Amino acid sequence: MGHGEHSGRPSKRSKSSSKEDQRAAAFEDEDAYYVEDFNDDDRDGDGDGKKRDFTKLELKPDHANRPLWACADGRIFLETFSPLYKQAYDFLIAIAEPVCRPESMHEYNLTPHSLYAAVSVGLETETIISVLNKLSKTKLPKEMIDFIHASTANYGKVKLVLKKNRYLVLKRLLSDEVENVKQRCLPNALNYPMLEEYDFRNDTINPDLEMELKPQAQPRPYQEKSLSKMFGNGRARSGIIVLPCGAGKSLVGVSAACRIKKSCLCLATNAVSVDQWAFQFKLWSNIRDEHICRFTSDSKERFRGNAGVVVTTYNMVAFGGKRSEESEKIIEEIRNREWGLLLMDEAKFHLCFLHLNYVHVVPAHMFRKVISITKSHCKLGLTATLVREDERITDLNFLIGPKLYEANWLDLVKGGFIANVQCAEVWCPMTKEFFAEYLKKENSKKKQALYVMNPNKFRACEFLIRFHEQQRGDKIIVFADNLFALTEYAMKLRKPMIYGATSHIERTKILEAFKTSKDVNTVFLSKGRLQDRMAGGKEEYNAFFYSLVSTDTQEMYYSTKRQQFLIDQGYSFKVITSLPPPDAGSELSYHRLEDQLSLLGKVLSAGDELVGLEKLDDDTDDIALQKARARRLVGSMSAMSGAKGMLYQEFRTGQKGGIGKSKPKDPAKRHQLFKKRFV
Amino acid sequence: MPQVRIIAKNFMDMVASLPAIKLDKLYHNPFICEAILRSMPPLAKKYVLQMLYIDVPVTASLLNEWVLPDGASKHRVAVDRLIQLRVFTELVDRKKETTYVLNQMFKMNLREHIINGGEPPRKPMAANITVRLPSLEDLDNYAAQQWECFLLHLINSAEAEVTTKSISPSMMKVFQRGLLSQRDKEGPRLTESGFQFLLMDTNAQLWYIIREYISNSEDRGVDSADLISFLLELSFHVTGEAYNVDTLDDVQRTTVKDLADLGLIKLQQGRKDSWFIPTKLATNLSISLSDASSRKQGYVVVETNFRLYAYSTSKLHCEILRLFARIEYQLPNLIVGSITKENLYQAFQNGITADQASIKYIVSFLQQNAHPRVAERVPSVPENVTDQVPHHLYSND
Repeated sequence: MGHGEHSGRPSKRSKSSSKEDQRAAAFEDEDAYYVEDFNDDDRDGDGDGKKRDFTKLELKPDHANRPLWACADGRIFLETFSPLYKQAYDFLIAIAEPVCRPESMHEYNLTPHSLYAAVSVGLETETIISVLNKLSKTKLPKEMIDFIHASTANYGKVKLVLKKNRYLVLKRLLSDEVENVKQRCLPNALNYPMLEEYDFRNDTINPDLEMELKPQAQPRPYQEKSLSKMFGNGRARSGIIVLPCGAGKSLVGVSAACRIKKSCLCLATNAVSVDQWAFQFKLWSNIRDEHICRFTSDSKERFRGNAGVVVTTYNMVAFGGKRSEESEKIIEEIRNREWGLLLMDEAKFHLCFLHLNYVHVVPAHMFRKVISITKSHCKLGLTATLVREDERITDLNFLIGPKLYEANWLDLVKGGFIANVQCAEVWCPMTKEFFAEYLKKENSKKKQALYVMNPNKFRACEFLIRFHEQQRGDKIIVFADNLFALTEYAMKLRKPMIYGATSHIERTKILEAFKTSKDVNTVFLSKGRLQDRMAGGKEEYNAFFYSLVSTDTQEMYYSTKRQQFLIDQGYSFKVITSLPPPDAGSELSYHRLEDQLSLLGKVLSAGDELVGLEKLDDDTDDIALQKARARRLVGSMSAMSGAKGMLYQEFRTGQKGGIGKSKPKDPAKRHQLFKKRFV
Repeated sequence: MPQVRIIAKNFMDMVASLPAIKLDKLYHNPFICEAILRSMPPLAKKYVLQMLYIDVPVTASLLNEWVLPDGASKHRVAVDRLIQLRVFTELVDRKKETTYVLNQMFKMNLREHIINGGEPPRKPMAANITVRLPSLEDLDNYAAQQWECFLLHLINSAEAEVTTKSISPSMMKVFQRGLLSQRDKEGPRLTESGFQFLLMDTNAQLWYIIREYISNSEDRGVDSADLISFLLELSFHVTGEAYNVDTLDDVQRTTVKDLADLGLIKLQQGRKDSWFIPTKLATNLSISLSDASSRKQGYVVVETNFRLYAYSTSKLHCEILRLFARIEYQLPNLIVGSITKENLYQAFQNGITADQASIKYIVSFLQQNAHPRVAERVPSVPENVTDQVPHHLYSND
């Protein structure tokens, strides 16, 4: 389906000295990727030829009361308006992979991996078949029953046990690396998928950590459900919990740690989220300050006593270069300790607020490294999205474990737990001059800068900011991952900006002003600073997302992928093609051709290294060492960062429930931007 | 290819467009007069009734005084319609003033009707002769099934199993004219009009076919006025009642057989007698086409991801959806597909231009047939789909 990127592809953020990075750097020509990528665009890849006819299935007399259809090829259709929807959803998410989950009808696929996950959470073969049969409108196809039998027959026969800091597996396999053992046990190899469970209550060897959830930490129903899947049989299962951004993953993570009550290693994607995780631990649990510590390039803390929580980044643990003496000591401790829980934040691609851009990519090799370095009884991955390429699922399955629970976006929105978000994509045609330069071979490294700085895009952005600031009194955040563009936009529009190099004090000051002052309504953020925004009361508003895309450029390609993800999750998507409106042209910037040409000159004369993606210098010890190489990577790395669009968001500052909850029928009340399109 | 636009006008429009002689002949039938009166705009009805017993021409200026100034436009519409239907004859008298007289035949028939009351054109047969009449529900199902079968046959679908019995191949050709292109090499393909035709609601489709049936009648040696009067007469019959075939003349008997193929009529054979039972399709013929009450329950759910789920067992529905969607799964009571660029292209490669009209037809088809679950939500078809169907077509990648 290609929501994500190819496995093992390093990200701009992984500037560890791994060899893979260097290899990727050799791919100077961005276009080399696209040829491949376009191929996986066709999701099902079948024409009418493969149309599946299951009309012969026998309908049960009371089929109207049952919520789903099951096909012989493993596809399952679920009516969301059925009275049994809730039960059916919980069941299906445990046994099948969701394909798409829009409003009225969900689709799922039964796969060997999904059944592996089902068995891991304690479902038995016969239970799976009988529940499925009860929910199905038709008699179950025989093929499906056979498939379930075949896929679940061997599960749980191999167990992996960590004792006294050593892994014990079946004798015969003992000589293998643990990771290889696990992989070889998966359905596509030996077909003896393992169950990883941790009987933490009877673990007398590892010291207990005194921590409880505070009374005010009340998990919501779906958080409770995730936890019950993890601790279903009194032991802790390893696996992944998928919750949308803003749904409160941290409470789930902290709750899990509080139940296990052993040392916990918490891995985050960068220093900012390390701070936040530490904060969340203190917020939700009564953990004593001396039992929790952060390990980043800035703060090298160590907990006192024989058990505790360490919050650090993937890079800090996986870093292969030379460390300071102090770091070396801490990492040695991390390596040697038998961790009760390995908490992995953003265990996969993080599509923040369901949009637009893959940030915090933790590539598989990084996982592998971290997991091979540390030893833990239970691994819990928390993520907003699972990429559903089989290859990826395999990766995750042997690295962390099966998916334990996955919440449905739309249900959470309806329950009022996360924001209702309206997405719109604004198509901005390239100006003639910019497009001519864009097509030139010698500008291949400036492509991104050219389409981000496209004057039409700038004008659309300016128009939207004016519109929301002046006519609606909204607060607006504009994101860009291109630092050059971020600076140009912010300077030109005279708005404050926050990016990697912004000091902590300044950042706090700007954000405070943005939240409270009437004079600061727009702020420009680099995407690496996404957490700044996330820290706010994110559940309280209904948000609008615009993403500005220069048409006929590479951006359109990212846009297609993004749309697919969004619409499969049930979000509707609008395309706006005429911004700014023709009558609003002259008061916006870059109205005159001279201005546009001088902007073009600026882009072209800027050094290649200036116009690429922003690098976030947050994680490792040896930034200086890395810098030189990292800089060189920037240009070509842009291909891997997902969307390049400027992103723009506004949200109401007033009480909740204003925009978007239900679209007004009356065209007169329609959002003005959209109204224009209905004339 | 000549552009054939399907304009789903109603029966009365067709009547109004008949040549004068035919029209005058029609008014010999009292039922036609009543039907025509019913179909008129309210103001026109009032004029007719007011002038029913005035035997001298009424001047236009007098007529003008009957309405308040703000009714002027309605007045004009009413008078135009009456002239069009030849219910009014416009005369210029010696003082060069415009006057109107009511059509003599029309007037006599209406007066007769008012004095003696209307009689049904035919009496239903006694229940003891016709023992096993279908229930109204069965009859509706029968009508729908016949119509579907006819349409599948019409578009030459491979799914058409039962061939229509009475309608001759040459007649089918007539119906197909304009809807299918008759290119020899590739076999017949749907034209733009055919595409739009399939997406129309049943009443509009029915009307199109009936119109073709009427305009082709002279070639079959049937007087179109006779045919129209019979069809209008049919609408005065009661749905579900049985009428003896013996009361029909030869032309009408043939017509009834054709209409049975279309689902307007069900034919049954008793021990001695045979009878015909008009279905809702027949009795609704003269009713305004936009009448929502005759609309069937919707069955289509369109999602924001362009997935389409149709709660239907109908092969015709499947064929229709195939016009713009890729059908991926067929289940006992569900058809699953997605609206894809490729399928739209395919549709539009068949000589169908990707113009706004065709797109509107797709969108309004989806809206009109929205499943009750989504019909209550506004909009019933997600906005991003209605917005992006055009984008799907025009983006040139």
